[in-house]
Amino acid sequence: MNADEWLRTFAAELHQRRVAVDAARHVVAEAATHLREGGGDPWLVFGPPQSYAAAIVESIGTTPGPRPGPVRLHARGINKRYGRRTVLRDAALTVRAGQIAAVVGANGCGKSTFLRICAGLVSPDAGEVTVSGRLGYCPQQGGTADFLLPDEHFVLVGAGQGVARGPARRAGRTAARHLGWDAEGDLLARHLSGGTRQKLNLTMSTLAEPDVLLLDEPYQGFDQGSYVNLWDQLVRLRDEGKAIVVVTHLLNQLDRVDVVLDLTPAQQGGRS
Amino acid sequence: MNRLVTVAEMTLRELARRRGVLLLLLLMPLVFWLIRRDSYVGQSIRALLLGISWAVSTAALFATSAARELEPRLRLAGYRPRHLYLGRMLGLWALGLAISVPFFLLTVFDTANLRYAGIAVAMLCCVAVAAPFGMLIGALLPRELEGTLLLLTVVAMQMLLDPGSSGAKLTPFWSSREIATWAVDHTDDGYLTRGFVHGLVVTLLLTVTVAGVFAVRLRRRRHLHHVPLT
Repeated sequence: MNADEWLRTFAAELHQRRVAVDAARHVVAEAATHLREGGGDPWLVFGPPQSYAAAIVESIGTTPGPRPGPVRLHARGINKRYGRRTVLRDAALTVRAGQIAAVVGANGCGKSTFLRICAGLVSPDAGEVTVSGRLGYCPQQGGTADFLLPDEHFVLVGAGQGVARGPARRAGRTAARHLGWDAEGDLLARHLSGGTRQKLNLTMSTLAEPDVLLLDEPYQGFDQGSYVNLWDQLVRLRDEGKAIVVVTHLLNQLDRVDVVLDLTPAQQGGRS
Repeated sequence: MNRLVTVAEMTLRELARRRGVLLLLLLMPLVFWLIRRDSYVGQSIRALLLGISWAVSTAALFATSAARELEPRLRLAGYRPRHLYLGRMLGLWALGLAISVPFFLLTVFDTANLRYAGIAVAMLCCVAVAAPFGMLIGALLPRELEGTLLLLTVVAMQMLLDPGSSGAKLTPFWSSREIATWAVDHTDDGYLTRGFVHGLVVTLLLTVTVAGVFAVRLRRRRHLHHVPLT
């Protein structure tokens, strides 16, 4: 494990142990500086990343667990068939303000369909969804305009909320920076890399300051650093009281979620 | 109003950056006109009008298809369906007018003894009808190839049908042909009136149909209930 890998694992450990995002970033930066200036094997300097993270947690403490607020999204009895194939059977999910929910399951088990039903883009055959507040949605792919600049996307989304051009542009660039992306520049969306385009997609969905944020595999094409930034951003939004639903294939150690809905047919239904 | 103008502006920006498409949009009416130029002048003018109609319809079809994935999220971001289809239509009308101006000047400088106001009205009718027509096809047919083939069929039908037949009046661009006859052949004002009314009615009908299709496609689904923040 080289220094970069050690730092990544260390950052992940801090995240998992609920160290405040800004504090974790600061500690990782300090460790990186120390390694860069002093050299040496991080295993010898700091020890295993898990142990060092534990020591840090003991020293600076962790953020208090978010206290879930009122229910923001309540989906119940969702059924959906495509032809003879039943995709969703009695799926249910409740997400409160200040919670992150993960929708997981195998390919084709209806994760994206469930999210699109929650967003009101697809009608279910049965079931209801109640949303409290404003809804934001980030599709798995598409959802951007090939021949527009990132700034123009921000203006377009901002105008929907009656936000003037300047503030919309600034808000978009700030949200993009949280994902480690500098959105200024004159690169059309079609010339952005897959991961950067997905960051644009994600930024657009958070721009309208939704109370409920629905994300369909928002990290496609992300590198490890961007993935960490994404979860930083989601944790930040959760701590601000947003309710977040993320469709994902797998949950790994970085993904700190409060609710999991597994749509794999054999074990359908929500569990917390 | 701001939302409408923003959608129109972004439609124009997107199309303006497709330089290849713009070039073809200008080339298409020009080729139509050039092919017929040595024969009867009325035919070259009618071919030019048909070329403009087809070019703007095609641009509308592609713009509508390209926005299919974007529109649902704009709807969630606060836009109403009318902002989206009317804004796009405004942008396409502006593009159509921009395309028409050089061709109008072409007829002015190339051909004498025409009723130029009639040519201008015919071009306006072409653009007015073509934008919602292309948008309607784009909204109904999700794949661009199918939409393009349907456009081709309609334009070919328009070209081949006897303009005097009752069936021709059911084609979308009949108005421009009728007005062009008034402008080129100096026929009575009935041609102008009939053409203008046809163009107006077809534009309104197509716009209302586009509105209906967009309202259905981007409707609030019944299963989704919004409650105020608590």
